[in-house]
Amino acid sequence: MAATATLWNKQMRKFLANPEEMFGLLIQPILWVVLFGVGMKSMLSADMPGSGEPYVTFMLPGIVVLSALGGAIGGGSVWLTERLRGIVKEYLVAPIPRLSILMGNALSTMTKSMFQAIIILFVGLILGAKLSPNPLGWLGGLVLVAGFGLGFSGIALSIASQTDNPGAYHAMIMVFNLPLLFLSNALYPLATMPTWMRIGSLLNPTTYTIDGLRQMMFRDPAALAGSDPLPLWLCWGVVLAFAALGMWLAYTTFRKSIK
Amino acid sequence: MNEGLDNGPAIEARGLVKRYGDQVVAVDGVDLSIPANRIYGLLGPNGAGKTTTISILTTLLEPTAGEAKVLGLDVVKQAGDVRQRVGVTFQEMVLDDELTGRQVLDYHGRLYRMGKTERQAKTEELLALVELEEAAERKAKTYSGGMKRRLELARALMTTPEVLFLDEPTLGLDPQTRARIWDYLRALKEESGMTLLLTTHYMDEAEELADTVGIIDRGKLVAEGTPQALIEEMGADTIHVIGEGDREAFVENVSALPFVQAVDVGRTVIQVGVDLGSKRLVEIIAQATDSAFTIQDITVAKPSLGDVFLKYTGRRLRDTDSTQTHHRMLLMS
Ligand SMILES: Nc1ncnc2c1ncn2[C@@H]1O[C@H](COP(=O)(O)OP(=O)(O)OP(=O)(O)O)[C@@H](O)[C@H]1O
Ligand SMILES: [Mg+2]
Repeated sequence: MAATATLWNKQMRKFLANPEEMFGLLIQPILWVVLFGVGMKSMLSADMPGSGEPYVTFMLPGIVVLSALGGAIGGGSVWLTERLRGIVKEYLVAPIPRLSILMGNALSTMTKSMFQAIIILFVGLILGAKLSPNPLGWLGGLVLVAGFGLGFSGIALSIASQTDNPGAYHAMIMVFNLPLLFLSNALYPLATMPTWMRIGSLLNPTTYTIDGLRQMMFRDPAALAGSDPLPLWLCWGVVLAFAALGMWLAYTTFRKSIK
Repeated sequence: MNEGLDNGPAIEARGLVKRYGDQVVAVDGVDLSIPANRIYGLLGPNGAGKTTTISILTTLLEPTAGEAKVLGLDVVKQAGDVRQRVGVTFQEMVLDDELTGRQVLDYHGRLYRMGKTERQAKTEELLALVELEEAAERKAKTYSGGMKRRLELARALMTTPEVLFLDEPTLGLDPQTRARIWDYLRALKEESGMTLLLTTHYMDEAEELADTVGIIDRGKLVAEGTPQALIEEMGADTIHVIGEGDREAFVENVSALPFVQAVDVGRTVIQVGVDLGSKRLVEIIAQATDSAFTIQDITVAKPSLGDVFLKYTGRRLRDTDSTQTHHRMLLMS
């Protein structure tokens, strides 16, 4: 725990001392919401089928998840760099649990994703998204995104533990990133999908994250999803299992890589 | 706290082996027994297995076979305890250089669960020791190579280790910086009773620093002793002979001479250890004539640790394509 906190603190301090990274991290989600959300909105009819909500509201959870995915990819990249530059060896000769090393990285990634999520919601609000009036719902939503981020961080860390080549890392991570994003309810409601796509989406933890977000953070989730929402307990269950599975995967591949 | 330290050696290895796949045997049955409060210098050509040995002793790698103990603690079964009590610097530069010098030390202390006041006191003490006080607030990426090396040394000392492992601590440093680092290391041993194991390519470094030198080649420890003892084994003087012709006959005849103490055949140089070089030169030359061996160059020198190294490894340090050349020579002769 102490070691995780130390490594988290170190990553955060480096982040705060790096204006370019901070700027990019803050601007990216704003661009996504403004360009994507607004652009799509004007292309589609102003409202989603069977709903009075603007498309921005529908899009927002997808953008939050997209940012979390991007953050996790960045975290894996940091990890690969630390491995290649030998910095991981400094951690490995220290009397700390191996898992805490990975957790330090994943938690700092998640922290950044939280900042981004808050910015996204804020910008969304300005653009007319209809947020739930219940702040507990927002908090629950953030925790859900954190869990999802942890799971995908695990996948990224696992890939970054197995390759010594940044190009290979980015190519591999896209194999996971793209289906996770597009084979889900992030961009289209489940109800409007062809069957094969709906099956794929229901196998994807992203879908449960986004559905959970819609239910907890926004008004009138049933209309947003274009169908009955998935049970909230199932969303939590899937996301938490994904988080645990991701970190377990990272842990086992990392252990194997240092044998 | 110091279980096993009081009477046993600080570092102990028995039959240490590390294999990579089926092909590479990086360490091939190394035995070590290093008493506390010594400086042990591990010498060896590139690829000899020095870094691998250190990696096993510092718990970074598990040995394929054999066992090792540091401060009486098994490096595999009690890895956590070993980690708590040793310090390491790596062969390559390993620094999070986005951090300032002070931050590097502080975070290192935190990882070892040092308290805040202790960390701050130790940081100041070490920054002074390695003369980096003025650069302490600068990011490490703005440091010169020597400054980075000194910062790494300070980091390894942050946790007041009982055993310090240094993999080529003065690699690529200028002579003044090297001399300064030697001074720190000697002082550490004298003042804090630390045990040091360092690897090096520099003969002068081993001679200056090490109480005991171990020469490692192709994963095996081929010689061990104090630098003086190893050098004395070479004979009082060494005559270096370079020439062509019947090398084997020449070596055989020279070896038979009563005053010759050692003969070592390198890939170009034949080293002959004798009691008094200036006096025996003529007799050696006479042997060459008898053996149909033409001498092209002959010199007399006091033997050095470099000669010892050459004797045991058949290579001079950084002799990259020695095996190839050696091979060619065998074909020729
Ligand atoms: N990860 C690895 N996979 C395969 N072989 C390896 C690996 N690491 C080291 N080796 C091999 O093991 C042998 C010993 O390497 P090691 O790094 O211990 O040598 P060294 O004595 O430190 O050399 P140098 O003076 O060049 O630093 C070498 O032949 C090297 O190629
Ligand atoms: Mg080495």
